[in-house]
Amino acid sequence: MIEVKNIEKSYSGKVVVNIPELTVTAGEAVGLVGNNGAGKTTLFRMILDLIRPSKGKVYSKGLNVAQSEDWKEYTGSHLDEGFLIDYLTTEEYFKFIGDLHGLTDGDITERLLPFMDLFNDEILNQRKYIRDFSKGNQKKIGIAAAVLSNPELLILDEPFANLDPSSQIRLKNLLRNLREHKRMTMLISSHDLSHVIEVCERIMILEKGQLVQDMQTNENTLRELETYFTV
Amino acid sequence: MLLTLLSHQWKANYRSSVFQKSVALNIIMGLLILYFGTIFLVLGFTLGNILGKVAPGQSAVALFNGALLFYFLIDLFFRFLMQELPVLAVQPYLHLPIRKSRMVHFVLLKSVPSMFNLVFLLIFIPFMFREVIPAYGTGAALAWLFAILALTLLNNFLLIYFKRLLSIKPILTLLFGLAVAGLLLLNYLEVFSLFAVSQVVFGAMMEMSWLAAVPVLLLLGAYLLNYQYLIAHTYPEELAVREKTNVEGKGIAFLSRFGELGKLIELELKLMWRHKRPKSMLMMSVFFIFYGLLFYPNDTYLDGFAWLIFVGIMLTGMPMFNYGQFVPSWQSGHFDALLTRRISPYQFYAAKFWIFVPVALLAYLVTLPYGFFGYKIILVNTATLLFNIGVNVFVIFFFSVYNTSRLDLSKGSAFNWQGVGASRFVMMLPMMLLPVLIYLPFKFFGVPYMGIAAIGLVGLIGFVFQKQLLQWSANWFLKHKYKLATGFRQE
Repeated sequence: MIEVKNIEKSYSGKVVVNIPELTVTAGEAVGLVGNNGAGKTTLFRMILDLIRPSKGKVYSKGLNVAQSEDWKEYTGSHLDEGFLIDYLTTEEYFKFIGDLHGLTDGDITERLLPFMDLFNDEILNQRKYIRDFSKGNQKKIGIAAAVLSNPELLILDEPFANLDPSSQIRLKNLLRNLREHKRMTMLISSHDLSHVIEVCERIMILEKGQLVQDMQTNENTLRELETYFTV
Repeated sequence: MLLTLLSHQWKANYRSSVFQKSVALNIIMGLLILYFGTIFLVLGFTLGNILGKVAPGQSAVALFNGALLFYFLIDLFFRFLMQELPVLAVQPYLHLPIRKSRMVHFVLLKSVPSMFNLVFLLIFIPFMFREVIPAYGTGAALAWLFAILALTLLNNFLLIYFKRLLSIKPILTLLFGLAVAGLLLLNYLEVFSLFAVSQVVFGAMMEMSWLAAVPVLLLLGAYLLNYQYLIAHTYPEELAVREKTNVEGKGIAFLSRFGELGKLIELELKLMWRHKRPKSMLMMSVFFIFYGLLFYPNDTYLDGFAWLIFVGIMLTGMPMFNYGQFVPSWQSGHFDALLTRRISPYQFYAAKFWIFVPVALLAYLVTLPYGFFGYKIILVNTATLLFNIGVNVFVIFFFSVYNTSRLDLSKGSAFNWQGVGASRFVMMLPMMLLPVLIYLPFKFFGVPYMGIAAIGLVGLIGFVFQKQLLQWSANWFLKHKYKLATGFRQE
């Protein structure tokens, strides 16, 4: 699904991401963990063609993301509030995204059904603009919008941040459902080790722009990660 | 304490990226201030002579006094349009042991050293030295100046108060506006003469200097009014001018017929309507319709063509230029979203194009009545309209990729230089010069009307090849999109 080849990004001589080789196969859920400044978001931005890599290329389904725009059809993503059109109401925003993918109002309502628990009656029919929602609720809107098009590839940057404990658990279950029923490929970064392990079967640790560990999740993973991050 | 707050304000301004980044902009601003300052100064020194020529035999000071009330009323109107409410970002201070009253005083006093209050002193003070002191003596003149200053500040605080109420009790502000308009109407209907009233009032102040205390008392009253209001509303939620209205998500049915392009246009219209900056920019564009009145009534401009071309480009293109100078910065808040969604750069630019064309057409239709000044105006404006929608649109698109600074949409646009780059000034040059350059050879060969036709034809050709030109704009944009996205991510 995603192939990263020899990618490197440096700002004024300082290398922030350097990944010689990374492959994500279709249906795989990959969790990306690492401390602040490890380069998680930068890597995601390069995969989404938002930053031009200093070196190397990213291929999505074999096509270079910087040259072809086909990946936009099957990729859903939410990195930060910059992905939201904040002067729209939630309904308008979902409708806009739905229209881009040729969804009817009925489709949108149906696809949002699994989100009703997560939304907790705080998202829809609120009669306010997205910019007036709290950070946590903005995150929920962004994630729902990313999933709305039923993408084959879902990229989320710290989806659990800013969410209350109940919402975190609901989101975790939601993501697992998407994995099981839709076989969605996922790239998720998170600071919450236990959640990301429960959603993802493969965990990668990024440190100072380098991929230092790449492992399959098993019952010992959490302990290994905690040992790794204990300074 | 006030000084500390002042230093924070100064730092906030000085350290803002706008101020630091664009030295060129500051130089241009400085030159503009110098230019207008000189004009006002010269006007102040020569006003006595001018008035003497306009109405010989009458006292210049009496005439000046008669105009003062008008001046204050008009001043109120312009302040309403352009002056921003002074705000201190109080939130970071509220949990600290600083008395609220100090903060309120600070916010209020901060509005005093503004351009609106000071620039006209450049007229009043020289006028005082040249005309008032010789006729009435220093004491009376100082009282006179003092009264004028107090009234200027009264205007300042009245406006701040009513503008703030606009979002909470709009009726009061409306009543205030009606009162001002009513005064002007009564004067127009000759029920009474504002001119005479103004003459009597300010004349009396020169005779009896202690009367200057009246405006000062009024000023104190207005200040207290503001103070009372603010001290009772120091909560950030209430200070914010944003109205919390219930919003209805409505689509524009007509646009949905144009598919994805219509969707993008609708989105853009919502962007304009729901933010302060584009809205106030549109308001200013409406005023620009009257720009023609500066030129057309004057026969010297009507004789040739070059000036008419210039004015024609401005009249039919101003709304487009105003909005276009910030393409694509308007979308800077959600630029990443646009790049990762199924929207092609071609569609993105096509949507802008199909907003600009109807707007330019509308500006053309609205300014058609200028044709009463001469049929030439209609000919020239038709040509410049075509040029604007066939060539200048793409000039805007060409320069659009250099607008890499994030735009703050929540502030008004008057005197707002946030997000303004040097490209904006460079952009105006080809848009103004190209049509004149096309015209000049024809003028040289004695067929000026052919020159006008040529301008229109060039525009028409551009419009016919819009698909190719839009594709070219899209490719040009693709080359620069990383730079744009990076720039917009920087707060």
